Amino acid sequence: MENKSLSPKKSIFSSVADFFRQDLIRYIINRILLFFPTILLISIIIFFVIQLPPGDYVSTAIAKLQQEGEEVSAETAQEMRESYGLDQPVIVQYGLWVKDIIWTGSNTTYYRLYNSHHNWKYSFSYQTNVWNVIGKYLPMTVTITLFTMLLQYLIAIPVAVYSATHQYSVGDYAISILTFTGSAIPGFIFAILCMYLSFLWTGNANVGMFTQDMLLNGINWGNLGEFMKRMTIPFIVFGFAGTCGTIRSVRAQMLDEISQQYTLTARAKGVSERKIIWKYCFRAAINPTVTGLGTSLSHLFSGSTVTAMVLNLSILGPVLFHALQYQDMYLAGAIVMVQAILVEVGVLLADIGIAFLDPRIRYSGGSR
Amino acid sequence: MDDSLILQIKDLRVEIPMPEGTLTPVRGVNFEMRKGETVGLVGESGCGKSLTCKAVLGINDKKCKVYGEINYNHPTDGAQNLLAMNPRGKQIRSIRGKEISMIFQEPMVAFSPLYTIGNQISEAALLHITKNRQEAKELSIAMMKKVGIANAEKRYNQYPHEFSGGMLQRAMITMALVCHPKILIADEPTTALDVTIQAQILELMKEMQKDSDMGILFITHDLGVVARMCDRVNVMYLGKIVESGPAATIYADPEHPYTNGLMHSVHKIGSRKKERLFSIEGTVPLAMNLKTACGFYERCDHRIEGLCDQADPELVEVAPDHKVACFACDNEACRAMRAKAEAMLKAQGQQGASKEEKRHE
Repeated sequence: MENKSLSPKKSIFSSVADFFRQDLIRYIINRILLFFPTILLISIIIFFVIQLPPGDYVSTAIAKLQQEGEEVSAETAQEMRESYGLDQPVIVQYGLWVKDIIWTGSNTTYYRLYNSHHNWKYSFSYQTNVWNVIGKYLPMTVTITLFTMLLQYLIAIPVAVYSATHQYSVGDYAISILTFTGSAIPGFIFAILCMYLSFLWTGNANVGMFTQDMLLNGINWGNLGEFMKRMTIPFIVFGFAGTCGTIRSVRAQMLDEISQQYTLTARAKGVSERKIIWKYCFRAAINPTVTGLGTSLSHLFSGSTVTAMVLNLSILGPVLFHALQYQDMYLAGAIVMVQAILVEVGVLLADIGIAFLDPRIRYSGGSR
Repeated sequence: MDDSLILQIKDLRVEIPMPEGTLTPVRGVNFEMRKGETVGLVGESGCGKSLTCKAVLGINDKKCKVYGEINYNHPTDGAQNLLAMNPRGKQIRSIRGKEISMIFQEPMVAFSPLYTIGNQISEAALLHITKNRQEAKELSIAMMKKVGIANAEKRYNQYPHEFSGGMLQRAMITMALVCHPKILIADEPTTALDVTIQAQILELMKEMQKDSDMGILFITHDLGVVARMCDRVNVMYLGKIVESGPAATIYADPEHPYTNGLMHSVHKIGSRKKERLFSIEGTVPLAMNLKTACGFYERCDHRIEGLCDQADPELVEVAPDHKVACFACDNEACRAMRAKAEAMLKAQGQQGASKEEKRHE
């Protein structure tokens, strides 16, 4: 103990320094470096999937044109192929795809097609570049997703801890029944139920996200109240199943941790019950939930499509569905790419969170 | 409470309600501990020894119901009944870890894997003796050095997974001793360790005891360890103490058939006899719906039919400081108890018979 003169304040700094021990930093850097190859791999897979439908876009487009009674000459078809870059080797096509659609997004095939051939009376699902479509829906999607997740954890964690620390009490049974029901009901049925109840009680089903005013003027302080009112049902519907699932898993984990030997050690030391629960058990119990953060993010993205359609919400899920329905593969690919990146970020954050929570992860991560 | 005593357990019972009935793993345990003394609690698995020592700290599982009295002779506040305190309250928490602390059987799972060893050791110091983190750290490191953890400053910041089993047990002893408790409860502290490490840990505990006036309650099923460590021995069977006395007496002259069996089932190094190691037949019965009978009745070679299965012997003093609970032992006190029990059974039998007669009339 060389530093007998150290004040307690300084020791807090030193404990912060302990926190950022070498192996933790090494782990995080490792993990971030792993992020980029993963994204690259995902983009290759998505590109491959885009190529899967029979024929290329040009043949689909020509078939549609011919259906509508248009004459398409071989030169026009060739011209279209060239403008798409479809005459290039696959690797170049992949490069073009990354460059045009993912990187800049400005020169999408549809966009080019539409601009250079105004006379084509030919309707694509969205006659604009991919980023315009995504940009229109992404902010709302991310807002809803993050807010739902936040709400989900804020509610689920205290309830789960209560349920676990009061195992087999009346409250615990009530919570168990509710959570089992919540996990079992499909989201869209719950959505319909909510709309029905809303209509029954308030005379308004509160369907759809925006009023005319919001579409024209955007969301401002004046219509925020109305907007929040319209968001209530989506939040409840999206958050409910996730909350129930989180309660189940955190409760089970907490029960597991409470029965561990180290709680007995802590109790024998004179540590209070509350501190045993929060300092020891909770930190260990939350581990799988944090690990599942990335996955539950993707679940909220893609799992809520039907619900979003029922509730008539303008988020990416239904757009993706629409794109797939019309074989708008470039749009679908871009949306999937965006989702994949967001989920990857979620997983990255989750992994870093886990490393903070559990020193054993840092340890093995560092020695890798 | 006698001033030389530090701990006195009176008629301790532990009941666990189960769907099939009430389990009574501890059925009236009485013993005492003097200051600075090492008391052994010996018995097979499931005889209630762990529950007894957990009851002292009030850290039994929530579903356990604990009855009786556990008096602790507090150095400043005088005798206190620990069982009368709220098991989650502040009063008992100020005793846990400070006055009475405990070390556990498996050091590998007794520490939380999420915090450094230093954090978990100094937590005890921070709870009871200082509010200053730096001071707690210094006290912890000093104690770590004392129990023989080399490179203590570096080890302080390491996690349990970076420790070996023996080192973890040393760390646990550090954690138990950092507040200089008056009683240390050791629940099979060496069972999970290598034999060589076992000896080191036992030596260490003895040494730490020498420095302070600490009493040790040593729970084990290893009679070799008892001989090495304990001043007094309490032999437990089916939730009761069946024999109690100074370690030397119990070893030289065991009275109770169960103690006798235990002594014989230890392999002695150097014995030339080529024979099978003695073992006690049968297993410990389940402590549920027990009739009034000696708990050892079914496994006993000396059982007396019509007596041992009808009455439960109590602990009687057969020699100064040596108590046995057995009808079959050949000594004055046991014979007196036997005569008394037989007379009582006879009287009951007559009463029952006369009742029968009355009913017939």
